[in-house]
Amino acid sequence: MARVAVLQIPGVNCEYETVRVLDAVGLEASIVRFNEPSSSLASYDAFVLPGGFAYQDRIRAGAVAAKLPAVERIAQESESGKPVLGVCNGAQVLVETGLVPALHKGAVELALAPNRAPRRQGYLCRWVRVRAGEGPGAALWTSALQGDRMAPLPMAHGEGRFETADPAVRARIEQKGLALFRYVDADGKLATQYPDDPNGAMLQAAGITNARGNVLALMPHPERASWLFQVPLDSSGAWGDRRRAATGSRSALDGAGPGRFLFESLARHLGAAKREAA
Amino acid sequence: MSAVLRTRLKIADLTAWTALDAARKLLPEGQGLQKLIREDLFVFEPAEGSRATEFENELAHAIESSNFFVNPNKEQYRFTRAAERGASLAPPEGAWGILARPRGDTSDHGWLERLLREHPMKGLGAIRRARLWWLWTTASGADDRDACYRAVGPVTGSRQGLLVNPHSETDLRIDEPAAWDAVEAFLRAPAASRREAA
Repeated sequence: MARVAVLQIPGVNCEYETVRVLDAVGLEASIVRFNEPSSSLASYDAFVLPGGFAYQDRIRAGAVAAKLPAVERIAQESESGKPVLGVCNGAQVLVETGLVPALHKGAVELALAPNRAPRRQGYLCRWVRVRAGEGPGAALWTSALQGDRMAPLPMAHGEGRFETADPAVRARIEQKGLALFRYVDADGKLATQYPDDPNGAMLQAAGITNARGNVLALMPHPERASWLFQVPLDSSGAWGDRRRAATGSRSALDGAGPGRFLFESLARHLGAAKREAA
Repeated sequence: MSAVLRTRLKIADLTAWTALDAARKLLPEGQGLQKLIREDLFVFEPAEGSRATEFENELAHAIESSNFFVNPNKEQYRFTRAAERGASLAPPEGAWGILARPRGDTSDHGWLERLLREHPMKGLGAIRRARLWWLWTTASGADDRDACYRAVGPVTGSRQGLLVNPHSETDLRIDEPAAWDAVEAFLRAPAASRREAA
């Protein structure tokens, strides 16, 4: 069974639900503390940096955690192609390390800047819709995503606006399809205004990968949408219909939610890699 | 000319402590960081055709009598009227600084609106905010400060830079007293793209 390390940094708060969904898709997930010997990370097949507020977002979200030896080790492990997922605060850490988009090795080329929306400031917590593209990360992270390749997911952040000060970086992210997940409206068109576009990110990016596709920085929380009971009753679209139809049925409510695909895709990828290695 | 408010925590500033601890680990050999202080800088710009004297009394009263800008239980502050602020923003003795601002508009429209609703005053056009980091390095030569700035200033790589992410912020290094005109211009000017800056 493939092993996944969920890195517990002081201040993160999504490690347990992340482990739960990784277990649910057949992976062996463990919480690894930030101050364990970083060499122990080498024995894992994949890594998740969960959401939360590492180091209380001091200085800037992700800025301090990005300098940890454990994160440096995960960066080294990613060079062999091991998958690395950063969710929300984990995405902020990955951006601050330069692991995404990693167009120039070792360089930090992005920021997750404060949200920008008309007449709104600060932390925003709501459900959004994302659509998966066909970039280099698609096979690894979206193989289990069916149909229109859209999913409603919850977001909860104050600093989630992917931004770069280098127009060439932005152009290459767009050309290479590295913005794997983008905010869309109910019709699946790229979101042009709040609330479909919740934070004003460049390219309406909700998740950006590196050029190889094995490192994904994703702002919405798929682990908070991995069971049907987590979908709000008033959701629109097919997932909302499913949720309402499941009311009163424990077994139906315990079925997969719209964010499960990401972890199932990871499990498929790791399963295939294990079979190949055997 | 603008009025200026500077605030800092008077209780232990855990963000500054964390920044100091993280910064020390990034410094090149032979460099040290003795102390680091974090301040918030607020610049109150008169509206076009107005003067700061039109709103300074009301603003001073709002700062002193409410916790709109300052929570006196945990923060200390220094408010200086435009006529009293002096010619320049000077580093504390022995320190040099990094003034960091968002790359976007530094004027906080929402805050201005709320301030004027709660504390009506005439002539105030904009409130601009920025973050000041004051650093005391063990070696104080210009080259030493350059090395320290490269190590803990704008983030350029995973082990290079800390206090400023240049993709969301831009910064002004303050080694010597910086003329207020230059500081105001820095806060107002649109941030250049990194290619343009290079």
